[in-house]
Amino acid sequence: MRRTGSWTGLAALALAAAVAAPRPARAAERPEIRQSADRREVGTEDTFRLTITITNPPDGAQLRLPATDDFETLSKQQSTEMSYQMIGPGPGAIRRVQKWTLVMRANKTGALSIPPSELTAPGTGTIRTEAVPITVKKGHVADPGEGRAGAGGPMRLFDPFQQFPFPQDVDPDDDQPQNVPIPRSDSDLFLRATLDRDSVFVGEQATLNLYIFSRVDLSSVDTLTMPKLEGFWSEDVDSPSQLSAEQRIVGGVPYHAYLLKRRALFPVKPGVVKIGAAEADVTTGFLFAGRRVHRKGNELSLKVKPLPAAGKPAGFSTGNIGVWRLAVEPGTAQVELGQPVTVKLTVEGRGNLRSLAVPPLQVPQGLRAFDPTVTDKALSSRGRLGGRRTLEYLVMPQQTGTFVLPPVELPFFDPENERYDVSRTEPVTVTVSGATAKVAAAPGAVPGEGLGKNVLAETQALRPLRYRAAFATASAPVWERAFFVPAMLAPVALWLGVLGFGFMRAQARREDPAARQRRRAKASRARLAAAVQLQDSEEPAAFFGEVEKAVSGFLEARLGFGVGGLTREELDQKMEQAGVPANRRGQVLALMDECDLGRFAPGAGDAEAREAALRDAMELMEDWPA
Amino acid sequence: MISALLAAAVLSQAPAYYSPAEAEALFNASNDAYAREDYAKAKEGFEKLVQHGFGGGDVLYNLGTTCLAMGDLGGAVLALERARRAGGRQEDIEANLALARARQLDRVVGGQNEEPFLERVALATSEPAASVAFLLLWSLAFLTLAAFRFIPGRRRAAAIAVCALAFLGSAPAAGVMWAHVWVRNELREGVVQAQSLPARELPRDGGKVAFEVHAGLKVRLLEESGRFVRIRLPNGLEGWTERDGVARL
Repeated sequence: MRRTGSWTGLAALALAAAVAAPRPARAAERPEIRQSADRREVGTEDTFRLTITITNPPDGAQLRLPATDDFETLSKQQSTEMSYQMIGPGPGAIRRVQKWTLVMRANKTGALSIPPSELTAPGTGTIRTEAVPITVKKGHVADPGEGRAGAGGPMRLFDPFQQFPFPQDVDPDDDQPQNVPIPRSDSDLFLRATLDRDSVFVGEQATLNLYIFSRVDLSSVDTLTMPKLEGFWSEDVDSPSQLSAEQRIVGGVPYHAYLLKRRALFPVKPGVVKIGAAEADVTTGFLFAGRRVHRKGNELSLKVKPLPAAGKPAGFSTGNIGVWRLAVEPGTAQVELGQPVTVKLTVEGRGNLRSLAVPPLQVPQGLRAFDPTVTDKALSSRGRLGGRRTLEYLVMPQQTGTFVLPPVELPFFDPENERYDVSRTEPVTVTVSGATAKVAAAPGAVPGEGLGKNVLAETQALRPLRYRAAFATASAPVWERAFFVPAMLAPVALWLGVLGFGFMRAQARREDPAARQRRRAKASRARLAAAVQLQDSEEPAAFFGEVEKAVSGFLEARLGFGVGGLTREELDQKMEQAGVPANRRGQVLALMDECDLGRFAPGAGDAEAREAALRDAMELMEDWPA
Repeated sequence: MISALLAAAVLSQAPAYYSPAEAEALFNASNDAYAREDYAKAKEGFEKLVQHGFGGGDVLYNLGTTCLAMGDLGGAVLALERARRAGGRQEDIEANLALARARQLDRVVGGQNEEPFLERVALATSEPAASVAFLLLWSLAFLTLAAFRFIPGRRRAAAIAVCALAFLGSAPAAGVMWAHVWVRNELREGVVQAQSLPARELPRDGGKVAFEVHAGLKVRLLEESGRFVRIRLPNGLEGWTERDGVARL
């Protein structure tokens, strides 16, 4: 097969066509330059744009921007456009347009003029623009073209429920700073506080936003001191823990905006309330190139309007500001006596939930409502606070019957519509059925009769009163009375006393030998006295026996040893050993013999002998030395 | 001892707020008010009697029953428990007390169903009888001991028997009396009077709420701190509540 062409041949044909075709030419060789401002009248706090347009700048051309002390340049941007134009037959033309956009701000007031810009190029010399006149006034001058830019706004979807409690027609960007003035010093990094509205009613929320605007690298915000918010009840809405940048154009100048704090303020009294400046220590740069700077924000003021006096509903509480809806559950309830009903009141809406005062649930006689369990759930959406409060009432029926809980009304002031409103619930019907199986029915009771009475009494579950009373004073128990302890201790003390007395007696009897001898001698004398009773009796043996016992006992008491069973010799010997003198020993022995004789010798115990024995015994005892 | 007895006798003769006839009339008027379902007036009358020294089991029972009819569970349980303590277990007191407890909101789970043993002993016995019996038997035993040495030998066996029996008899009497002493001094109980009373973990207003008790619940009172009292439920749960919300039995 023969090849009809090659890639090399095709490339050669294309090159020839390209060379043969007419080349595009530069449409205009002579450069042009012009400048214009987007506003003719500005304020000293406003920025405006100066646009310098250079058409077909020659290579190597140098542009000299307008230099003046009357204005400062906040930022500048440069862009280049290239276009290809086909005009009539023949080759087209390439057009190059270089555009400079300067964001400027006037430094003083008056009829000022921005000097011309100059373009110098080799071969063409220097060409200039016209000067641009600008009238500068103090402060802020409204931009007539500002409204047109935002006319119409974004299209929104229809929301039949309006996303209660937080409507969706609130643009989240509304809360973000729009007209933030750029400070004349520290314009690269500044702290700015804004309020989302200039005036509010007492109790209506105003949101304080604190941003830091930066055109430099921001490392961290080390400390942040918020102003004292006197005259407000305030609550944090947003307090980011990490810096998060958003791109913002402020007066035509691109900035990174960092939200530091967003706080909801609820003014508590009317008037103009001043808010001081926040302060922050900020570290810029990174690592070793970091630099710490201090920035102070701006002061703010808020006009607080009093609540209108007209149209204030009865029962209105000054804390009920916002838009609130009240609902109740359940609508109806059927319970048995003794079983509780839980009635739930729910308030939901926008505003300061903490200051909201919900009127209590009223119950008719026959029902008892206990203190509710209150649950608050705070909500916030796009910086607006609100929430839901739930009050759960435990209602305990006291009687049978059908009861209607009247509607609960919550009057509030709607600051959005600037009028008072009342949200109310539907009435709740509670049907309490009669006695349960736990309570026996009264004999003869007719079902359904006597509603509203004491059912417990009717069913005789409640025992009747007592009709006789034994009144009793609440007295102290017996053991707490004064006599109890002495009465309990007295017998113990008596017993101990008796024991002690016996012990003392025993101790007393445990005397020394001399005392014992004296006691025995005394006993002997007593025995001798008993012998005297027998002196005239018919039994001389008994008399002499008593005398002998008395003498023996006396001797034992005095001598300290027993004399019973001793012979006369032994007795004499022992008495001698005891130191008894001989005459007394003889006296004893003679008396003992005399007694033996009287006891055992027939006819020996006559009256004279008795008298003599008694006398001898008495003399012996009395004359015996103590 | 004699002087103490005399002092007690003199104190018991102090003039009363009501004469017996007036107290009887007020009692009957209160009963009539109850019959007319004028419970507030009936309660007021019974309370006056109690406040002025004409209480007792009957008046307290009527007061508790009236409170129960009014739906005042706290007052009902308090008065009926006091009637129980004053007059012991009686059928009508127990029935109305059971009814009051059935209507309470609190159902203590895991608790013992009845009172501690000593409290039951105290409820089942009479404190004056136990105290007097103990005192007599105790005295008899020691008097016998004291007289023992003066008793002739033939009667000493009988004296020993009397003494032993007196000691044996005084021991259970002392036990019953001690049960009353313990119940009175150690077992401090109260009845919740407030409709709803939070029990906190700490004795202060901001303390975390551990649980909640309601009117009519009988609780143990453990200790007090400021205006708070620590309570214990039958199942062992403990918490601090406001003292004003609990009435001591």
